[in-house]
Amino acid sequence: MLKRTLQGILVVWGVVTVLFGLRAVTPGDPVNLIVDPAVDQATRERIRQELGLDQPIYVQYADYLQDLLVGDLGYSYQASRPVSTMVIERVPATLELAIAATIVALVIAIPLGVISGTRRNEPADYGATSFSLLGISTPNFWLGIMLILLLAVQLDVFPTGRRPVAFHDALWTFLTTFYVGDLLTWLHHIILPAVTLGTYFTALITRLTRSGMLDEYGKPYVTATEAKGIPETLVRYKHVLRNTMIPIITVLGLQLGQLIGGAVVTETVFSWPGLGLRLINAIHNLDWPLIQGIIIFIGVSFVVINIGVDAIYAKLNPRVLDE
Amino acid sequence: MISDRIKSNLRQEFRQNLLPKIGLAILVVVVLMALFAPVLATHNPNTTGHFDDGNSYPPMGISYDSYEVVDGEREPYSVEYSTEHYLGTNNVGQDVFSRLLYGARTSLLVGILGTGLAVAMGVPFGLVSGYYGGRVDDAMMRVADVMLAFPSLVLALALIGVFGSLSIPIPDPIVAAGFAEGMPSATILPGTITVVVGLVTWVWFARVARGEAMAIRNEEYVKAARSLGASNATILLKHVLPNSLTPVIVLATIQVAAVIILESSLSYLGFSGTTLSWGYEIQQGQDYLRTAWWVSTVPGIGIVLSVISINLLGDWLRDSLDPNIEGEGGGA
Repeated sequence: MLKRTLQGILVVWGVVTVLFGLRAVTPGDPVNLIVDPAVDQATRERIRQELGLDQPIYVQYADYLQDLLVGDLGYSYQASRPVSTMVIERVPATLELAIAATIVALVIAIPLGVISGTRRNEPADYGATSFSLLGISTPNFWLGIMLILLLAVQLDVFPTGRRPVAFHDALWTFLTTFYVGDLLTWLHHIILPAVTLGTYFTALITRLTRSGMLDEYGKPYVTATEAKGIPETLVRYKHVLRNTMIPIITVLGLQLGQLIGGAVVTETVFSWPGLGLRLINAIHNLDWPLIQGIIIFIGVSFVVINIGVDAIYAKLNPRVLDE
Repeated sequence: MISDRIKSNLRQEFRQNLLPKIGLAILVVVVLMALFAPVLATHNPNTTGHFDDGNSYPPMGISYDSYEVVDGEREPYSVEYSTEHYLGTNNVGQDVFSRLLYGARTSLLVGILGTGLAVAMGVPFGLVSGYYGGRVDDAMMRVADVMLAFPSLVLALALIGVFGSLSIPIPDPIVAAGFAEGMPSATILPGTITVVVGLVTWVWFARVARGEAMAIRNEEYVKAARSLGASNATILLKHVLPNSLTPVIVLATIQVAAVIILESSLSYLGFSGTTLSWGYEIQQGQDYLRTAWWVSTVPGIGIVLSVISINLLGDWLRDSLDPNIEGEGGGA
């Protein structure tokens, strides 16, 4: 665990350095992004000095690392606000979306995969495998637009996008006043984005659960439990499914990047005010402090979550501790 | 390089299963669409202004209701399709069918070139890392870890921020030879996106090649070659590389599909180097879902069919060659 953490810190340092390098090689004068390009030379020089851009590159790098250690991500060129605030305020929306999508995926995929894996080559299996092939082959932005077209524009059962209320605010309202309306509004707005982001993972987990179940059923211990007369349902859920979950968790850890990348696109489709939407705007504006801040945040979360996944993995499969 | 056993496996799996046949059939259609776009297209894909009184034409067989305001009253009328525009026209009156054909070009070009770049970077990196092992391997794998800490779409976005959007015109031989008058004389390759997808996906190839190299380096024939005085470079090129190709080919197939999705996502987000891209077209159509739903719908079907066909062929290759490969998989 300690070794994993040290490796994680090394990776984070690498991420920070790569981003610093990318910013340094980006052509163009950042001063132009902050002030009118027509402004006089003296003012430009003053801004350069304030930003430390007149320093040699290694001094800038050292300063940047030093600031990072105390959580200072600098100021956005465009908005002139602290990057750390601009990152933190957008985290809840993205987190809501990612969690909702994961719930959608797990709730649909595991039963589907179990059905598919236990009724091989029956109609239910064909249905589930076709669905999962379609799911991993559909770009989620297009799926989102098709859901909007069908369920928002044509049938008018869901909104086309936006997030009128944050989950924590809605929850607070409910807990203090027992008014459930805000929570329902939130739920109504998050369903389409969550399905959009979750479909790829639903498809993937269905596939993995199916092939994992099929693998496990071929093993001698299953035959042994059957010979002992243990009820099939018990074998299916207590032994086969549990062992199937081990590789699934590993793959999900690896696919976390897909979840974050997918969130960036999904937020754009639905104008969902998360980190992804902010990142896209920052890149359009070449607002490097903000770009760096958001990506470093994503990189760090990614590393932390992967360490967490490893811990869960070790719990489910004690054999890995020996390695 | 490819043994007879593998060949017969491939043939047998293909013959016994319907899915690879479907995949191949769809892929052939998509490739033909892309190759012969200038001949098959009915209009120049960039020409605007094919409208019926300011309304986009719907696809053939479909009509929709519109209205005009006469003396403050709504006068409904029906917009009929035009037999000239098989799949209708978009919001600026460009022919959707012709743009679908040209979009296939962009997707396949970026898919193949981007994946080729990733193979060219990742395979040597992985082979060296796995073959030498020890400290070299440790250092190289830490580099790979840093790459993997970026979600590929996010890293791609950061790199686009650096490079800007560069477009490379490639002259179209069919138009140059005079077979397709009035079509664009060059295909625009979105250069930045092509390079960027290579830069963000090479690490998957490095991982696979490394695993193969680690397994092969202790094989008897490699030891024999070494004891006969073969240099490391010779062993890597003559023995390790050819024997690690199978899983690389399987991964490359799946990655072409993943890259097509990545390209369309980046184009959708507004970072395309060309307007003749399925992702760009879907983004353009999103504002017109109420009036011209086909503008976003048609190119999306193009993406899904291409990706499914490649995934089906990838499954076939994997089932016949190597059951133990994990790729990055599909969608961003």
